[in-house]
This record gives sequence, structure tokens and C-alpha cells, in this order.
Amino acid sequence: MSNKPILVIGGGPAGLEATRGIADLGYNAILVDKSDVLGGNPISANYAALTPDMRSAEEAMAEMVDAITDNPLVDIRMNTTVVGSEGDAPNLKVTLQNESGEEVVDAGSVIVSTGFQHFDPGKETQMYGYYEHDDVITIVDAEKMLKDDNFVVPSSGKKPEQICFIQCVGSRDRQIGNQWCSKVCCGIASKQAIEIRDILPETRVFIFYIDMRMYGFWEDEIYWKAQEEKNVNYIRGIVTEITKRGDKLLVKGEDTTMGRPMEIPMDMVVLSVGMEPSEGTTQMADTFKLPLESHGFIGTTGGALNTVQTKVPGVFVAGAAAGPADLEDSISMGGAAVMKACAFLRKSELQPA
Amino acid sequence: MSEHKYQKWIQKDNVVIDGIDISGEWNKMYEPREIMEYDITGLENVRDLDGGESMGWCYQCAQCIGVCPVDNVGSYGPRKIYRKLQTGMDLFTHDDLWMCTTCSNCLRVCPKEVDMMKIIPAVREQAVLNGNVPAELQDMLQNVAEYGNPMGDSARKRVKWLKKFDEPVRDLSKEDDPQPVDVLWYVSDYFSFHGRGNDAAKSMVRVFNRLNVDFGILGKEEKCDGDSQRLVGETGLFEELAEHNGAQFDKYDHNKLVVSDPHAFNAFKKFYPAVTGKDYNLQHYTQFLAEQIDDISKLMKRPFPKKVTFHDPCYLGRHNGEYDAPRILLNAIPGIEFSEMYRCKEQGYCCGGGGGGMWLDGLVADHTTERLSENRVKEAVEVGAEVLAVCCPYEVSRFEDAVKSTNNDGKLIVMDIIEIMDYCMGDDAEA
Repeated sequence: MSNKPILVIGGGPAGLEATRGIADLGYNAILVDKSDVLGGNPISANYAALTPDMRSAEEAMAEMVDAITDNPLVDIRMNTTVVGSEGDAPNLKVTLQNESGEEVVDAGSVIVSTGFQHFDPGKETQMYGYYEHDDVITIVDAEKMLKDDNFVVPSSGKKPEQICFIQCVGSRDRQIGNQWCSKVCCGIASKQAIEIRDILPETRVFIFYIDMRMYGFWEDEIYWKAQEEKNVNYIRGIVTEITKRGDKLLVKGEDTTMGRPMEIPMDMVVLSVGMEPSEGTTQMADTFKLPLESHGFIGTTGGALNTVQTKVPGVFVAGAAAGPADLEDSISMGGAAVMKACAFLRKSELQPA
Repeated sequence: MSEHKYQKWIQKDNVVIDGIDISGEWNKMYEPREIMEYDITGLENVRDLDGGESMGWCYQCAQCIGVCPVDNVGSYGPRKIYRKLQTGMDLFTHDDLWMCTTCSNCLRVCPKEVDMMKIIPAVREQAVLNGNVPAELQDMLQNVAEYGNPMGDSARKRVKWLKKFDEPVRDLSKEDDPQPVDVLWYVSDYFSFHGRGNDAAKSMVRVFNRLNVDFGILGKEEKCDGDSQRLVGETGLFEELAEHNGAQFDKYDHNKLVVSDPHAFNAFKKFYPAVTGKDYNLQHYTQFLAEQIDDISKLMKRPFPKKVTFHDPCYLGRHNGEYDAPRILLNAIPGIEFSEMYRCKEQGYCCGGGGGGMWLDGLVADHTTERLSENRVKEAVEVGAEVLAVCCPYEVSRFEDAVKSTNNDGKLIVMDIIEIMDYCMGDDAEA
């Protein structure tokens, strides 16, 4: 069996699952992550509870990290980036860089799991004023507040009496250039609404939406639970703009099922920001010459029948680097990428080029 | 709620000015249209009631509106109630509370199982306790409480229809030592007190006697079944009636309880047991007779060569799942030309009389363009029927009024199925 390692780039959920899978199959893995802690966005962006099962993000990611720690087949490189690649798989020579310098490693195959970044609400075309109003936050900020057990109105430090979520911020928007649905924000907003109602039962929570996209089991496990058990109010029609009115935020838009304009005072507004390709994802596409699909994520071949094969032989993609993905998608793709990468190495051994 | 000057807004459901219909959205312009606050207190108050919980489950798919019989003639329905509650309506004092006929068509299609059959009585119960009851309904409730029937007639008049009626009927309340009967027939209010109901009651007696049914009635001891009273929120009155009637059912030894009225059927089957602790061997008369259809067919020799359609009572059909029995009887009518209306069986349209609608015509008329019964009668005419057959005592009077008000006098007659059967069992000489 080949001793050439499979290089996994990015230690989020997809990369961690891929690394574990490679070692489980008896291959060598090198896991590279640019930060000093594994776990990806769930850790670096301070997620509290994961969607949909509400499990602690720290606990779940720790379990994934434990599965690859102290494994002789796994070489973990933290604070490390990939800065170059030469040759073709299975004979790649990849240049890694960390603070002590550059190093060239052999790689038989590559799995790119560099994920997404949260949409920057400063780029939205609506007037939500994320950078103007202290009390306009994102679901990422809300996660941190929930994790710190300190969900308060930022400007006053008080408990909010009335808050709302605005869905589809930075998603489904031709003007911004993000024409995709980010898949997870409906679920995350609903999950956060449940958590908020649990810790602040007097707080009225509204979710303004275009379509609630609660696919699969998220429908009853999150959406119905939020509405039926936690009395979260779902209002169809997203907010057009937010203005400051006294110490409140006035959200303006249309209540479409009533056919009436609305101007509602809120103590706090949470923007459900979507996903964009991360900087690392764009860089790895460049480094490995991976064609992007039309939205700017890493393109795959084979459409729905092959979710992990890039257009470059021996280079695979897993998780949100290939497009908006939830945790379940990312883990599944991690496993699928391992299978394809190992198969690629096996075939190249049996039929050397 | 805040004191904002634009707080109040008005949208009239039915406005016609100089012959121009500006109902609903068209008149919203008279006041600022902005929703300034989502005051969900009203929603919370409904949701907090026993039975009201599912009001909070609506996700606005609007399937209920497609089948709500009231929305056909006005603007009303569970989805709309939910949104109004979310935007400040107090259902406990709002006319919308009295618009629902509890026909159960919305629940049939609701993917979230928002149950207006529980929500509406729960809210009405609070309204009743607070004295917020429409006057016309209050009169009915007082009559039932005082006299045991909604008409306000004395208990003795319940058997007035038997005077000058030659057929043998055992009135068990008049027997010194009442012997067991096979069938205890619960006659019901409309068959007992209403003129056209009396006709059907007499037909029932003649049919029973021709079939040699061993039956008896409770006579002056019978009281209103209470189902409509329960549905308008008079839970206490319902329980009194259930206890009273339940005691009569105990008192007279019988094998089977046969009822004329689907509302009574519903009450005895689903709601009396909780009060009386007893289950009843119960049949609607159509079920009782459908079991004997072979014998009945032999007796029905006189043809009834009419185009007939049938109105499914909500409380026999959707509420209790019986669609076949009435049709078995109708199909056995010699010479009949039967055709269904478009909205039949599970999809049947409501006559408007259920859930207290029988006594709310005035209030409902303020919010609708026509009565539900009128809408239904038009459908019967549209399918070419000459006879609208019914098997709920509320309906003969409701539909006969509607036939007149829609100018269909002479085109359509309304008959209880039992009247048609009685006719077919009769002699030609009687015609």
C-alpha cells in the first residue's frame, strides 16, 4: 500500500471527518489548518449549540478531534497554510508554510475542506445598518452571546423585550451576486429563537422570512418546535430597512400575508447572514488550479452523482468549500471524499501511469 | 400597546358604497395601513386555553381558506384568524368568534392539525363567562336552560305533534311501569317542535311501524342534546343536559339508542361518556335503517321519479365518518334519479347551522354576502336537482328559507330522507 499521504486542507467538520476516514482505512494523512485550533467555524466562530440536534459545538468538535489525535497515521500541522503545488496526483509536491518557514511534502491525493465564511452584512443592499447600529447583530454574534450565556441588548446590557431575525441576508440576492440559498440560516435562526425563548421566556421573538426552508427533519424538529412549543412568531416578508427610533430599532417592510406595510419597534435585530466561499477556499482553488462553479465555490464533476470530485484528477473537495452545506452535508462529503481519494491512490498503484 | 396615533386601523369586511363593493382590502385606505406593532397578547390568550393550544401552530399554508364554507361568502377562516390574532385582535370580543360553524372542513385539510373544533368552543366559553354573547344566541341559551329546548316551548309541547296522529307511539314517560323497548328513539328538538320537523317525525313513526320496530320515546322527559350549546361555549349547560338525558337513557331499558339528529349523535357518542361515565349503543336513523335495506326495499313500492341530490350533514359526515348510510337509503328509492353535488361527502359544504350558527344568522349576515344555506341551495339547483334530500333536523327549515330567498321556490323542494321513504312506502291512494 502506498505510503504517500493524502493531504487534507482545513480542519473543520469535513476535514476532521476526512482525516479520520483516511486513517481508519490505513492510509497516511496530513491535516493542515491555518489556525491554532481545530474544529473550523463551529469553534472559531464560537457556535454554541449545533443545528439541528442542539449538541454543544465544543463537545462535538472535541469528539471529532479526539478521533484523530495521537494516531500514528495522522500528521497534524497547525498554523500552517498551503502556498504551492507542483506536479500531478499521485505525485504532488505541495509546499506548506508556517512561522518557521516553508516545507515541501509529497502527497498522493488532496482533499480541500476549506469551508465558507459568513457573509459580511456591510455588503447587503438593504439598509440594515449592521455597522451603524450596535443592536443590529448577526447570527454569528448571537451564537457567541448564547455561548457566553449573556444574551442582552448590546447598547444597554438589558434583556431584550422584543427581537427579530431577518432571513436571507446576503443570500438569494442578484445585486450582491450571491444567488444561492445558504441552506442553514432558517434552521439556525429558528434554533437560536428556541434558545432565546428558553433563557428569556418573556422576550417576544419574530422571524421575518421570504420562504422558510426547513428541509427534511428540520421541519418539525426545529421549525415546528420553535412555533408550537416556544411560541416564536413567523412573519412572511423580510424587512426592507432598519432605522433608529429613540432607543428602539424600527424595522420596516411588508407583512405579505396581511398585505400591509409594517413598521415595528425592536430592541434588537439579528441578521441571518449566509455563506460565501472562504478566503482559503478561493486560494486553494487557485493553488491547485481547480475550476470554480458559477457561484464561486469549488466546482465538482458529475453533478448530483459526484459531489466531491473536482475537475483536477486526485483532488477532491468536501464540505462548504463546494457550496452551502450544513453539518450533515459536510460530514457526508468528508466520508465520500476519503473513499474517492483512497480509491484514486489504489488505482494509481495498480496501474502506474 | 403603545399610544401611537396610528394605532387604530379599520378594515371592514363588507362595505358597499353607491353600489360599489369596496369590501376587505379595498377599504383599507381610509386609515393608515401600517402595522405598528405585533401585539400578540390575543394569540397568547387563545393559546393558553385548554383546547386553544393549536391556534399557535398555523404556518399560513391557507388550505383551510380553500375549504372554509364561511370564506366562500365572506372573508373568514382559521389562517386569517391566526394572523389577526398576531396583529392585535381580541378574539374573545370579536365577531369572528361567532362566524365558525364547526363544520370541520378546515381540520380535514390542515397539515398542522389546527383544531378549530376545540379552539372555538374554548374561546367562546370564556366569552360566555364574561357575558360577551350575541343577543340572538343568548336568547337561545336562556330557552334551553329554562325549558330544555331552544324554541322556548314548554316541555309538555314536545309531544304535541303526536296529537291527532293515529300511529302507535310508546311515550315511555307516560307509562306507569315502562317495559323494555328494543329501540329508544331520541326525537330531537326540531323534529319535536318545528312544523316541518314534525312532518319528518311522523314519517319516522310510520316507517318504524311498517318495519315493526319495537320503539319508544322519552316524551316530555327528552331535552335538547346540548351539542350546539357546548360548541357555543356553554359547557355548564351542556353538562346539565348530558346528565339529564343520560339519566333518562338509564331509566328506560333499551337495546339501542337511535337518533334523528347528527348533532345529538355526535354529543352522545363523543361527549356524553365523559359526563355520564357511560357509552351508548348508538345509531343515526340512516344507519339503523340502512341495515334493514332489504326489508325496506320490499316495502317501498311507490315510485319517486325525481331528480334528487343529497346534503351531507357535517356532524354525520366529517365529524363521524358516515357517508354511506344515507346514500344506501336514497339509492333504494324507486324511480329516483340521484346526482351528487360538487361538494359532497368529505368535501361537503356546510349549511351554516352548526356550532351555534342556527341562532347566529343576524350576526353572520353582517359579515357575509349570502347565507351558507343559500350558497348550498344554489349548488343543488345547479346540478339539476328537484329535491334536496337531508337527514339533519336543522336543515329542512334552513334550506327551505334559502330556497325562498334565492328565488328558487317551485324549482327545488327540501325533504328529509325519511319523508321520501315514508312516501314510497305509502299507498298511491294517499297521494
